[in-house]
Amino acid sequence: MTSRIAGLARILPAEINTDINCSSKYLPGKDNAYIAQQAYEHVAPGFAARFKPGDVIVAGKNFGINSSREQAVHIMRLMGVAAIVAPAFGRQFFRNAINNGLPVVECDIDGIADGDHIAIALDAGTVEVSARGIARKVPALPPAVQRILAEGGLIPFLQKHPDWNLA
Amino acid sequence: MGQTIAEKILAAHGGLEAVRAGDVVVAAVDFAMLHDARASNALKMISRLGSGKGEVPLPFAAKTALVLDHYSPPPNIEAANVHRDMRAFADRYGTVLYDVGDGICHQVMPEGGHLTCGDLIVGTDTHSVTYGAFNAFGTGVEGTDLSAVMMTGKLWFRVPQTIRIELTGRLQPGVWAKDITLTMLGRFGAEGANYRALEYTGSAVSAMEIDDRMTLSNHAAELGAKAAILEADEKTFAWLKAHKARAPRPVQADKDAVYAERMEIDAAALAPQVARNHQVDDVIAVPEVSGQKINFALIGTCTNGRLDDIRQAARILKGHRIAKGVRMIVTPASRQVYLDAAREGLIEELTRAGASVEAAGCGTCVNITGHLIMGDGDVAISSANRNFKGRLGNSKSEIWIGSAATVAASALKGTITDPRDVIA
Repeated sequence: MTSRIAGLARILPAEINTDINCSSKYLPGKDNAYIAQQAYEHVAPGFAARFKPGDVIVAGKNFGINSSREQAVHIMRLMGVAAIVAPAFGRQFFRNAINNGLPVVECDIDGIADGDHIAIALDAGTVEVSARGIARKVPALPPAVQRILAEGGLIPFLQKHPDWNLA
Repeated sequence: MGQTIAEKILAAHGGLEAVRAGDVVVAAVDFAMLHDARASNALKMISRLGSGKGEVPLPFAAKTALVLDHYSPPPNIEAANVHRDMRAFADRYGTVLYDVGDGICHQVMPEGGHLTCGDLIVGTDTHSVTYGAFNAFGTGVEGTDLSAVMMTGKLWFRVPQTIRIELTGRLQPGVWAKDITLTMLGRFGAEGANYRALEYTGSAVSAMEIDDRMTLSNHAAELGAKAAILEADEKTFAWLKAHKARAPRPVQADKDAVYAERMEIDAAALAPQVARNHQVDDVIAVPEVSGQKINFALIGTCTNGRLDDIRQAARILKGHRIAKGVRMIVTPASRQVYLDAAREGLIEELTRAGASVEAAGCGTCVNITGHLIMGDGDVAISSANRNFKGRLGNSKSEIWIGSAATVAASALKGTITDPRDVIA
């Protein structure tokens, strides 16, 4: 994973509970590949069909709220989600995303539409949709989090740095 | 600039002088907990640590408790196999094991003396905030986090902002910590404190016994809190000592600590509350809905299954019989709570009154075991923490939540009832 991400924005509404929308909690026995094909269907019909690997989820506030299921992030990785941009995230979801190498960016999403080209610089802390003249400054992810993301998640990070050396 | 309790605990465990909200720290954890509903994911993540090059040592295993409480008892082969794998793992790595019937993770952790004031504790459950009742930073994590802790004893944390809540006055008889949190849920909404730590202080907190303080910290999970920390006092120290916890390292906030928000709530003015309509934040005072018929009454869970909850219920039901047509289950939070309740004669009083007392565990919270299902249109009143649609197995039934006292009073009358009207 690099610190520069560019892809198409795919919009989801606010207050998305990923337990309900992207896990087997209510689909017992279904595997991740099946759930990936249905992900977010009842809040954004056709979402999974539109979504291509490398696209960016752009969601309203509190994305991943209530959700403590790491599986939701495993499914998003399977879908090829490059990053998620939202004004705020559910607490455990934020951790799970970083632990699994999925960049999460806290940013105002006003004015961004489905299908827009969106560019994110995690190191510089910018989110841009140049076609709409949007260039937003966001707090850069803390260096420690960037290191974990750069290694592809917490487990690959610890395999390389069992001493937690974040320098 | 001063620091909040959450900032001080994270700084101390990160070997730092001071931290600020928003900082990321790598901090040493004091104790960890993994329960059965998250075990299959966590054990999978642990197996990935070695990346095919064999097993890695797990030096933190001895400071990790594995708790078999959700699938209690296991309703299917898959769950029974999770238990089998957890027992084998505990044998092999030397983790602490609490087996089926020993109790709910958030009850056996403090009862087992695994935590003390000033600790940093992680558990694979959102209600791990319960440990805040003992002036510890307790927070929920997932399988990857847990595997990192077992391997290294450390974890990364983003330092949360803190909301300081002063609870003035003291609760009226019949009004409990549950009613405080329900009131807050009604005002601020579910997840109204998402990502932030809560710091509770004030005369109403001092007046509470430990059981009710645990409810206060525990139920903050529904507010989305990352931690819900109380100040320590003599009651805290005495309780910890009685449970053979490590020596307390009490932490207080600095006078000039920086808070996201400060608020004051007059505890004396609060009435019993209930949440309804499948939402934890659709909250209404009990007197406004008294008369609402109920069919099922549940006392238990990590929120309200402790000795003081069972005492409240027994006090209301002693010498009476629950209303005709009402089914009632009481599930003590732990084997210890069960024994204490039996010794005080509460189990007998509740059983005579028409309740069924079940083995300790998560039992009454969610319909994992399949025995909480109600008929279409039936209404449950429960002392649990969540009333999501279908949580008890039938999405055409309703779940109302309230304190153990409200549940017992309602079971007695067959309708939602203010416990203040029936307290002997």
